[in-house]
Amino acid sequence: MRWRYIISIVGVLTIFLGLAMILPLIVGLYYNDQSVIPVLKSIGITICSGFLLYIFFRKNKAEVILQREGIAIVAFGWTIVCLFGALPFYLGGEINSFVDAFFESVSGFTTTGATILTNVEAISKGILFWRSFIQWLGGMGIILLSLAILPFLGVGGMQLYKAEVPTPVPDKLKPKLRDTAMILWKVYALITLAELILLLIGGMSFYDALCHTFTTMPTGGFSTKNASIFHYNSVYFDIVFMVFMLLAAINFSLHYQLLKGKPLAFWRNSECRFFLGFVFLLIIIVSYNVYGPIYEKIGDALRFGSFQVISIITTTGYATADYEKWPAMSQVILFFCMFMGASAGSTGGGMKFIRIMLCFKYCYKELFSLIHPHAVVKIKMGGKPISDDIMRSILGFLALYIILFAFCSLSLAGMGVDYITSFGAVAAAIGNVGPGFGLVGPVGNYAQIPFFGKWMLIWCMLLGRLEIYTVIILLVPAFWRK
Amino acid sequence: MKVLIIGAGEVGFNIASRLVNENKDVVVIDENPEAIRRVSDNIDAQVVTASGSNPISLIEAGIKDAEIVLAVTNSDETNLVACLVADMLSPSTKKLARIRNADFNLYHDHFRKYAPHIDTLINPEIEVVKTIYRMINMPGVVDVGEFADGRIKFIGIVLDEKAQLAGTRLSELSRISEKQRPLIVAVIRKEKLIIPRGNDYLLPGDLIYFICEKEKILDTLAVFDKSEAPVQSVLIIGGGTIGMRLARLLDEKSVYTKIIEKNSDRCARLAEQLNKTLVLHGDGSDQELLKEENVHDIDVVVTLTGDEEINILASLLAKQMGAKKTITKISKFGYFPIMSTIGIERVVSPRLSAINTILQHIRHGKVLSSISIKGEQAEFMEAVALETSDIVGKPLKNISFPKGAILAGIIREKIFIIPDGDSIINPNDMIIIFARRQDIPKVEKILAVKLEYF
Repeated sequence: MRWRYIISIVGVLTIFLGLAMILPLIVGLYYNDQSVIPVLKSIGITICSGFLLYIFFRKNKAEVILQREGIAIVAFGWTIVCLFGALPFYLGGEINSFVDAFFESVSGFTTTGATILTNVEAISKGILFWRSFIQWLGGMGIILLSLAILPFLGVGGMQLYKAEVPTPVPDKLKPKLRDTAMILWKVYALITLAELILLLIGGMSFYDALCHTFTTMPTGGFSTKNASIFHYNSVYFDIVFMVFMLLAAINFSLHYQLLKGKPLAFWRNSECRFFLGFVFLLIIIVSYNVYGPIYEKIGDALRFGSFQVISIITTTGYATADYEKWPAMSQVILFFCMFMGASAGSTGGGMKFIRIMLCFKYCYKELFSLIHPHAVVKIKMGGKPISDDIMRSILGFLALYIILFAFCSLSLAGMGVDYITSFGAVAAAIGNVGPGFGLVGPVGNYAQIPFFGKWMLIWCMLLGRLEIYTVIILLVPAFWRK
Repeated sequence: MKVLIIGAGEVGFNIASRLVNENKDVVVIDENPEAIRRVSDNIDAQVVTASGSNPISLIEAGIKDAEIVLAVTNSDETNLVACLVADMLSPSTKKLARIRNADFNLYHDHFRKYAPHIDTLINPEIEVVKTIYRMINMPGVVDVGEFADGRIKFIGIVLDEKAQLAGTRLSELSRISEKQRPLIVAVIRKEKLIIPRGNDYLLPGDLIYFICEKEKILDTLAVFDKSEAPVQSVLIIGGGTIGMRLARLLDEKSVYTKIIEKNSDRCARLAEQLNKTLVLHGDGSDQELLKEENVHDIDVVVTLTGDEEINILASLLAKQMGAKKTITKISKFGYFPIMSTIGIERVVSPRLSAINTILQHIRHGKVLSSISIKGEQAEFMEAVALETSDIVGKPLKNISFPKGAILAGIIREKIFIIPDGDSIINPNDMIIIFARRQDIPKVEKILAVKLEYF
């Protein structure tokens, strides 16, 4: 491990973050609110620290990054970026304790959308903008953004790419990683722009439209309103958000194919087909379930039922209804949705659909080989065989996911949190969803979680965003050995 | 520029990594997932795990917008079929195939004109035989290559302890050897490549690369105190394609040749094909056999078996037993850095020569040939100076050449000029440039940037 090299790259990432803070500064200056001074201070501290890290540890030569170093860069890079990203919250005094500020920042970058704020509307505009903007940055990935912009990371960039991009089988759209990263970011920005325009057409103010767009596309879920999307209570906005949450939860390379003029791209991809079909099925079940006891009109049942299903399964976490008042069946479905999550290669969190599909195929294969012990069966996805290596890493991932969920909710319960909240909070944090159940439900927030519980959830959110292996590997002693 | 490489073996892997360093878009196709993983882990290239001769996978790999297809798998047949399919799918793509079977050599033109339309067939074995022959014939030479149809050669030698030039400053060189001032382009000292300037010293043990005309080689070598009697006997260990071809060449030149081969069937075949050469059946690393065949009287021992480790050991053994010179065939690039440490001076590599030949054809502009020297840290490039290029028409001292590059020679109407600060390059002059690997894109830029206008 060449720590100097790792630290210098983390330094560059930090400088980047500092530059990104100029945007909330502009917003703050425009509204002339109390966020200007703390954001200015944050910019100063962030850029200076990044610069110092870079200057003191840099080497002249660009080097090839080994796999282990790639993981270290991504894991530490994210932690450091989240740490500096918390400065505007903390320095302004709008969030009092540092752990809360850090929690909010991690929740932003990991696109979770869990908040410790009780009254969002009281926060200054500049800070609220930053809170939405970091979700947008984190959604497609800060490392991916640097890969698109910084030429020198190209050398071993594949290792970084693999460690950050949420997919079991990373593929390249173009021969060069830099071009691939550029395309993904461009597609991301393009869809973001489309949503912004549609929200403006619907009559949302530019500031709110921008903030909400920045949290829909990364499937983040921060809102500038206390009542989240229900604040607007408009069918038009509900539909726009639903469409874009679904788009954000679909593999971005499919969007690229679509834009390149392949209209059937979504249909040809078996994960996407299955994902959309499954969402449709759940919408029917949940709407039917809430029709009657909660909503009297079928239209309302469909509207709120589908919004909540889409919001949770894409791991966005917007709310238009308090689903905790819904029948048990709907609640259990939403709880499971938190685990399933979106498609691979999207901005959504959770286990990812492709892993679940492959897991089922694997189970079927096991059963099949009990019936035909001599059969040679290969697991295939979209007609292509999946190698044993990938299958093994997927099963390992799913096992770790469940084990970590069990361990963390157990510890949270041990800190005195009730069991529904424990389950809900951990599922929502690892799945990068945001609102959970109990205290942290759609009308609650994370403020009442105990001190250590917050730290644990911070860790869970990073675990979820970086797909477990990248974070958990730091706990393996062999990783640190020379 | 997009390049499609079929075959992720040693040749494919190395070409891919070189091209990516030079900022080209590279897609690599191979059937073997292990080989593909090696590429995707180490190189910024796109990968496709599929057979390279399969039309669907070629389309998937983007053959339609590829400028060049390189078929460099180990199998001649796969390469040919891949080119054929590529030709079908995308006729405008330039095709290069690595074909090891020598019988195809006669039909190069056919392949170019008819069905697969392969622009270049590359036969690394033939290049290797030529290189070995040159090494055999030049005293003290450990590496050799040629430009301008063989009229200009670059030569690598190791400076002896007793040589009069050892310890000399480069700027004093012209004083010591008035007539034959060799143009030294590179010095490799402790595995590090130095492009020497006027006040650098030559030290004993340095591997020195210089350029000179064909006729003046022996005189120039004498300046470095390298002279030997002509080679009279050669022992070849390993009777594969290269071994046989080398033996046949030596046969023609009336050099007394012995060849040792393990496989008795192969021995029979060798005996049929070769006239004067003595074919021996046995193990090349067998001390008794070597003693029996008077290895201590042999001028050059060439080890060419298919097994790298045996080649290395047999060369060391032969040297230990008194052979004057050894030449070792090595394919694994990972071994290059340790060769001089363990006492093996002369190394040839079919893969390296395949890579060299292929790179010649990919270079932008009018680069005619390019040759990598040991360990591939640097490259010679031979090019035509274009009228529109930046280097034409002004004194060399006014041209901002990249630091790691040196203009090694100008050939104007068959006259070789060793350039100095006041030389001016005319349009259509041939120039020879030596450059470190990382500076190659810059050199390419000076040579060809304006070519885009056509």
